[in-house]
Amino acid sequence: MAKLILNRLLLGVLTLFAVSILIFVCTQILPGDVASAVLGQGATPEALVIFRKELGLDVPAYLRYIHWLTGALHGDLGVALTNKRVIVDEVLPRLGNTLFLAGYAALIAIPVAVGLGIFSAINEGKLSDKLANIVTLTAISLPEFFIAYLLIIFMAVDVDWFPSLSTVYKGMPFSERVYQTTLPAITLTLLVAAHMLRMTRSSVLSVMSTPYIEMAFLKGAKRGRVIVRHALPNAAAPIITVVALNLAYLVVGVVVIEAVFVYPGLGQLMVDAVSKRDVPVIQACGLVFAMVFVTLNTLADILVILVNPRLRHKR
Amino acid sequence: MAMIENKTDSGLILDRRQLILGASAVGLSAAFSSMPAMAAGAPKKGGVLRMGVEGGSPSDSLDPRTYADSIPINISLMLWNCLVEVADNGDATGELFESWEVKPGATEWLFNIRKGVTFTSGKTLDADDVIYSLNMHRGETKSPAKALLNDITDIKKVNANQVQITMSNGNLDLPFNLSDYHLIVVPNGFTDWSKPDGTGAFTMEEFQPGVRFVAKRKPGNYWKPNRGNFDRVELRYIGDAAARSQALMTGQVDVINRVDPKTAALLAKNPKLRISRTPGMGNRFAFVAHTDKDPYSNKDLMMALKYGIDRKKIVDNVFSGYASIGNDHTVGTKMKYYDTKQKQTPYDPDKAKFYYKKSGVTAPIELQVSEGAFSGATDAGQVYQESLAKAGINLDLKRVSGDGYWDNVWLKVPFCAVYWGNRPTIDNQLTSTFFGGLKNPWNDTHFQNEEFSKTLVAARVEMDQKKRGAMYARCQELIAQNSGMVCFAVQDYLDACSTKLQGLTISGRYDLADDRIAEKGWFA
Repeated sequence: MAKLILNRLLLGVLTLFAVSILIFVCTQILPGDVASAVLGQGATPEALVIFRKELGLDVPAYLRYIHWLTGALHGDLGVALTNKRVIVDEVLPRLGNTLFLAGYAALIAIPVAVGLGIFSAINEGKLSDKLANIVTLTAISLPEFFIAYLLIIFMAVDVDWFPSLSTVYKGMPFSERVYQTTLPAITLTLLVAAHMLRMTRSSVLSVMSTPYIEMAFLKGAKRGRVIVRHALPNAAAPIITVVALNLAYLVVGVVVIEAVFVYPGLGQLMVDAVSKRDVPVIQACGLVFAMVFVTLNTLADILVILVNPRLRHKR
Repeated sequence: MAMIENKTDSGLILDRRQLILGASAVGLSAAFSSMPAMAAGAPKKGGVLRMGVEGGSPSDSLDPRTYADSIPINISLMLWNCLVEVADNGDATGELFESWEVKPGATEWLFNIRKGVTFTSGKTLDADDVIYSLNMHRGETKSPAKALLNDITDIKKVNANQVQITMSNGNLDLPFNLSDYHLIVVPNGFTDWSKPDGTGAFTMEEFQPGVRFVAKRKPGNYWKPNRGNFDRVELRYIGDAAARSQALMTGQVDVINRVDPKTAALLAKNPKLRISRTPGMGNRFAFVAHTDKDPYSNKDLMMALKYGIDRKKIVDNVFSGYASIGNDHTVGTKMKYYDTKQKQTPYDPDKAKFYYKKSGVTAPIELQVSEGAFSGATDAGQVYQESLAKAGINLDLKRVSGDGYWDNVWLKVPFCAVYWGNRPTIDNQLTSTFFGGLKNPWNDTHFQNEEFSKTLVAARVEMDQKKRGAMYARCQELIAQNSGMVCFAVQDYLDACSTKLQGLTISGRYDLADDRIAEKGWFA
């Protein structure tokens, strides 16, 4: 089993390496260059030449890649081209904000979605099952910004329970931070809940048709007990995978939510960096996102191996 | 050699409001300090101004050589001062330069530096600081203000409170050029932009580019009476127009800029909010054609293209009425020396049809537009296409990516969309786009006209205001008739604020009270 897990870890590192090359190549082929994007329409050709030299854009790409990768491995992501700020200092607080919001949303979403999924499976075909499905499917079918604006209208403009701007900054009290990020967290919950709920429900139900479940029923166990005690452990693998996928989405896919609530997260930083062609910042954000994604997926795989003994042995 | 005292107009001309208030209008500072007071009662100290603003990014820095948008400018003017300020009526008034004198020919200038102004560090402002600050934008630099100072050959210290500036070509607009927002004054030798040391009303508490900026008022009295009233200023970056409006409606911010014209009427209905509209000062929206290339070298075709655009429809539909109709040059309708007598080119399909026939052009006309040029460019292009179709002219509208628009399309494609920003003076506005023939890299219509160049140069040193006005009128006429620019709209600036915020006046230049609302405003 240790070998299997080690393999997964190695694969994760290899994926990251491949992604790093991809990120670097892709940022090289972005149209336009940083000098003209920063200086804008008002840049004189003379100023552009001076600025490009200052930015070191005259060094060959492969050298810049090696330099960047070795830096990244040492935790140095370089300085932003545009304002010379150290990128790590810029990215870390933003990543912290994004992880905070994602964590908050996950804390609400996972218990609610998985719980509701199990509840739906127990009550399969009943009104409560249908209701849970309808509500979550409606939420996932609406564009995320629309849900966000609906929440803002009802909970910020009409009743003034929560702020429409999620202002967070360093040194903010924890409770205040939680209050400020509640609306985006609810929005995110609505976005990811349906996926997890339905996966939980269907994987539990698919296990329900197996002989050992039938056996449990024949022994006289109640439906709820059969599901929680016998079906759930065997349905865990797909649930873990879908939870990990949604967790990754909570971190890397919240750009729109961040824009609507003006939340200073990593997605917003990356979008701004793209518009300014600040390549090192784009690369740093891309790398961090890739790391989150790969880490969560690897973790999910390892967890699945741990909970499912059958995967530990070759067929 | 008689020295001409160039007292600024706001010091000499008494306007109605100043008379009512009985402002002495003798010293510049008196005129200046009475201005905010006119808006609504006397300014009060105190309170926290919360701004929700668009116009910046995480790449912002406090180095003035990188300023390109509203947020860094607003921040900068809380911490530092410029040499010259533009008053609400559009005149240049003294800021750190208290007053100035110019010799005829406008090549030699003497500027008097305000006495008794200190930096945050305690250092007193003197001529060396001014010279150092100006020189940051001269010589080998990427500063966008370099072009404004190109004609300056020498900046000499006369004494601690006086500098002499010599120019290779005379220009009476030098004080206006010196009012440019890049030209803030820092202490001599200052380089660490993360620790600002300025003469402004506030000191920096926190700066997270792309997220927020916080400043607090300096202890003691600010050198400008009645200004610098807020205890603290918190500025939030809010790039999304809907989020900005919501933040204002829910009372999380006190003032926002760049209100979406489509929702401005809705905001205005809220009794707790006020919309401030600065007309004729925003971006100039245009389609530009290279007039040295076929088919645009054909004058009749250009006339057809100018008569064939329904400007009013674009202003009404694309900009929801929050713009002025453009007249084929970049001079804004509220700019000093804007020629009100010049006839507005109307939408006239018949005339367009006539000129199109006369031109004999059969080649396809392709216009490239993109939302990367400016928001609304595609819609404007569509209205243009429709209105030209009514004149029997077929416009091939091509939408291109906003990514890299300024690199790949503008200046390269013979007919495309562009915007030009508001410049400090009419001379600067015309020079940057139309002067210098093909040698001017920004001459996006490849305009060449000898009379225009001569008139523009002569106007720079013409001391007689009437004559000067006539010269600029001729320049506007020459461009409208001969250049390849179809300028159809000049944007209004739209700010909105809570009714308790005072001092958000209509400015003579930019939005948010010329980017100085933090310094000028107060709470009623």
